[in-house]
Amino acid sequence: MAASRPTRRRVSVFTQWAVIASSQFRNYLRTYRFLGLVAFVGVVAGLWLFFLVEAGTGIVRLSFLNSVSEFLTDYTQSTPLWIILAAAFFGGDALSVDFNTGAGYYTLVLPVERSTLLAGRYASATAVSLIVVLEYTVFGVLGASFAFGRNAIPWGSLGTSLALAVLFTLAVVSVAFSFSALFKAPATGVLVTILVLFVALTTLQNVVQITGYEPWWSLNYAGGAISSALDWAFTPKQVIPVGGGKYLTAWSASPAEGAAIMAAYLVVFLALSIVLYQRKESRG
Amino acid sequence: MEQLTKSYRNGAPALDHVSFRYEGAGAIGYLGPNGAGKSTTLKLLVGLLLPTAGAARLNGVDPRENRQRALWDVGAVIENPEAYPSETVFDALNRVGILRGLDTREIDQEIDRCNEELGLPQLGMRCGWLSKGQRQRVALAAARMGDPRVLLLDEPTDGMDPTSRVQVRRLLQTLRKDHLILMSSHLMADVMEVCDRLIFIDSGRILLQDSTDAVAGRTESRLVEVEFATPVGPSAFEALKPWIQDYARVSDRRYRLGFDGRAETRSRILEESLRLGPVRSFTSAFPALEDAYLEVIGANPAG
Repeated sequence: MAASRPTRRRVSVFTQWAVIASSQFRNYLRTYRFLGLVAFVGVVAGLWLFFLVEAGTGIVRLSFLNSVSEFLTDYTQSTPLWIILAAAFFGGDALSVDFNTGAGYYTLVLPVERSTLLAGRYASATAVSLIVVLEYTVFGVLGASFAFGRNAIPWGSLGTSLALAVLFTLAVVSVAFSFSALFKAPATGVLVTILVLFVALTTLQNVVQITGYEPWWSLNYAGGAISSALDWAFTPKQVIPVGGGKYLTAWSASPAEGAAIMAAYLVVFLALSIVLYQRKESRG
Repeated sequence: MEQLTKSYRNGAPALDHVSFRYEGAGAIGYLGPNGAGKSTTLKLLVGLLLPTAGAARLNGVDPRENRQRALWDVGAVIENPEAYPSETVFDALNRVGILRGLDTREIDQEIDRCNEELGLPQLGMRCGWLSKGQRQRVALAAARMGDPRVLLLDEPTDGMDPTSRVQVRRLLQTLRKDHLILMSSHLMADVMEVCDRLIFIDSGRILLQDSTDAVAGRTESRLVEVEFATPVGPSAFEALKPWIQDYARVSDRRYRLGFDGRAETRSRILEESLRLGPVRSFTSAFPALEDAYLEVIGANPAG
């Protein structure tokens, strides 16, 4: 039995990362939440496309979407919502699962630094979230092709928008990972991510805009850059008369500003996740 | 481990200045009642918990400083490890094999060896479908992948059927010749057969560290089992009342007798039993280690 010991070689951090990321990615692909979300996005976007085709291209003009830019800008305004949902689903419990189930007793006793584990899981959570984003985007491009013709698609702007969507996904997954590292119950991380990004930030951002200030600190605000990138008539600041001689200022993040806010969230919350995860204990 | 202390938020120390150091090969049994600090010690050793004071080192390295080096030659089964539910047994072990620096051929060989040693479930089975005993065998196999020299095992036979338990015991008996095993268990038979040294812990403090033989020799058993060649009625034991505290009928020929543990009382019970009928056997009902455990832990007010 003990006759020949296997020869063990030093494992590079990259190999460890790749092993963790690929196994976690495969695991995500088999979960009901992934299949459910992909199906849900497929049904919602698919129905939208179906009705668009059924109603014909005239319906697009009736919606005052006179150019492919307006059409895609309108469509991609929902992209941040899908990203938040996907990132919360896949990132909200990515770390807490180690401290709430037996998963941590299997994984955390292996000769791998926790920062490497986190990096692997971060990559896989981002990758599965991007599958959802891509799925949604493909339906949008199909709709735009139908309404305005394939040649009308602004591939350059679409590429910028997609790049911003990737950055936004990275930032939201970072936020979700922080909550996942903070809370022990997996469901809490998912729920708090959704509540903070969907409800708290959106509410605060709207209140701040009403008072005339730009909500440059909000990740949701930055998410608006995903659609701004496709808007040919983009203006960062619009003053809208609301009657009685009063005006409301509406702010929109430009692609550059949005990217900067997203990058800041990514760095700050990823660093926070690493610190919290390094110090998290298995007390169960 | 040097003066390792762990306190939780309520202030009560789960581990109170615990120190021990082992090297080379052998099996150390870590014994104590529930909540004594056994699992806490093992978790501190692998870095699943952070010490309040003191330090834990594996292979001379503190896992807080460098997990990869500290845990490189360590296999651990703590609490109830579970791989991803959707992952197959093969994938779960393959992942561990890669992270322990094995190539594809060696991983296959190691999985085959673990299968021989532990009787793994079907390799294509999803981990989420495994029974508790099967999960424990997969966890043990994961700890054995790459044949690490140090094994930290927290109730390693927990949830296993008797056949698997015997299989694991035999494996550990073999491994202790060239591995260092620290094993916590409530099962005295496991500890007795596997471990050469024992550590008794209660309320976070080490009460005793010694060899298994020395600990077992500390006490005389307080229970004897008498087997008669022919059936004997319970009423016959009335004659033994002055020397026994109680008795229990195991079968119509076998009885278990409780007494004060003194050697002279034991001799007297044997003499009196011979008067009741021909005696086929006269043995301690429980291993001496069980009595030693009760003596060491029982002597502690918190035990």
